[in-house]
Amino acid sequence: MNYKIKYDVIVIGAGPSGVSAAINCAQKGLQVLIVDSSHNAGGQIYRAPPKSYKHNSEKKLQENKTQEYLSREIEKNNIFTAYNHTVWQVSPGFKVDAFNDISTIQWHAKNIIVATGTYEKIIPFDGWTNPGIIGLAACTVMLKSHHFIPSKKIILAGNGPLLMLVAYYIIEFGGEVEAIIDTSSKFDWIKSTLSLISNPKNFKDGIRWLAKILFNKVPIYSNSMIAKATQYNEYINVKIQNINTGKQESLVTGTLAVGHGLIPSTDITRLLGAKHIYNESKGGWIAKIDDYLRSSLDGLYVTGDGAGISGAIAAKDKGLLASLALLYDEKIIKEKEFKIKTKKIVKRLNKYELFAKAIAKLNSTPPQLLNNIKEETILCRCEDITKKDILKAIDNGAKDLNQLKSWTRFGMGPCQGRTCQYSVAKVVAEELKRKVDDIGYLTGRSPIRPVPLDRAIGEFDYNEITKIEAAPL
Amino acid sequence: MNLRVSNYFKRSKKIEIFVNNESLEAYEGECLALVLYINNIKNLRLSPKNKDGRGMFCLMGSCQECVVLIDGMKVTSCNVFIKEGMNIKIGDLDEL
Repeated sequence: MNYKIKYDVIVIGAGPSGVSAAINCAQKGLQVLIVDSSHNAGGQIYRAPPKSYKHNSEKKLQENKTQEYLSREIEKNNIFTAYNHTVWQVSPGFKVDAFNDISTIQWHAKNIIVATGTYEKIIPFDGWTNPGIIGLAACTVMLKSHHFIPSKKIILAGNGPLLMLVAYYIIEFGGEVEAIIDTSSKFDWIKSTLSLISNPKNFKDGIRWLAKILFNKVPIYSNSMIAKATQYNEYINVKIQNINTGKQESLVTGTLAVGHGLIPSTDITRLLGAKHIYNESKGGWIAKIDDYLRSSLDGLYVTGDGAGISGAIAAKDKGLLASLALLYDEKIIKEKEFKIKTKKIVKRLNKYELFAKAIAKLNSTPPQLLNNIKEETILCRCEDITKKDILKAIDNGAKDLNQLKSWTRFGMGPCQGRTCQYSVAKVVAEELKRKVDDIGYLTGRSPIRPVPLDRAIGEFDYNEITKIEAAPL
Repeated sequence: MNLRVSNYFKRSKKIEIFVNNESLEAYEGECLALVLYINNIKNLRLSPKNKDGRGMFCLMGSCQECVVLIDGMKVTSCNVFIKEGMNIKIGDLDEL
């Protein structure tokens, strides 16, 4: 495809929030480019099934229907799309660098809407690096967009609604959930009911998931966590521990899927040097935003769960809000229109907040989960850095995450700390008896995704190389 | 037990791919990381320092754990849709 170089707005991430923002900007006549690493719109929650899959019948999963809807809306609104493109750098100005499977490309835009969503929070435990152990969110993608069951028997561990959703789909698709291991208590769930009802659609889904789990008599271990996992060929021995009593029990399974909630993706806002704040119930570090999702930098807007976790239903409204702020700042809409439209949206978003807070509570990290991290447990998977390595660096005087990074190499591997930063910060804060806010966050560094060197170079002829005259002696 | 769910979608045609020169049957366009996983090929690479086995983990291009070699290039297998005759190398990627 031939791309223009310059756009009015570049939206990074084609999930529900990015799509909503892109449409709103395009409908006001702006030239919008939406970039996503996947081959179609949908984000992770509505990730598009592989192109080679063909529908069997009229029957479609709700998530797949929503994905198709988002994709159609993008086409209808004449939005430029750069699917299959992974953004690896965004620099002031703004310049966005991305690569596909052939080369890299750079686009320019005065405004950027970051809608990069989240990645999964997984608190380390002994043996969590064993192949065969996967994320709970990975499981949702596997089930809902790729239509695979990971193995015959599966154990699900962690907390929050994802446990129920994944269990539901595994059973629905003919698999067997051997056990659900939940750090929350049954009472925690009951307490959250009142707030969860505030969002009837999601609440109804939840009831449907729970009904299936109970009907199939899936053993639920409440107040429990994984103490340790050991892999023997295709089997995983899972040691379950009650977080209150310490009582342990072992089960053998084919797949262990673990997830403790979501972490907002801040790669791009950190890279650009925007201000960030720490908000535990919103997922940890998030870009500092105003009431209309403007970041601390002109022309940079943040939307969706990446601006603080509030769920897929709120994501659409957040996209509208960010795009209205942009349209107002660009003097495309007048103050009156901005005020009327945003007032309604903010009201709706405040209503969703009750639901989001209840979910955040169910996804909170109990101290026992962090205490379960042993000295030999690997924290940074990319560089094999253990808790012991981190503690030693602290002993030697390291006081914040960036110092620890250069002293230990934690967060220096290909994932750039996305998988471990949250847990390492918690361990450091605990050891130094300081707040996580005071430990800092890893400075954004380019490339935010590994770029294959041949693509960075691209294809060119000898005569296309700029030859610089030698400086006079 | 069939780990491919066909309640909603029909797969494309059957193809052959090669994992460390061994033949593996799958369907065109399926996600490579998942094809390997359900065929119990979970140990995809070794961690650089301890040389511990690692495999598919986040399935969304964030963690970089599912990297394999295709035509000598390191790629995250969760973002690869398989094609007929694809040659995949797994194991100690730095030695291959």
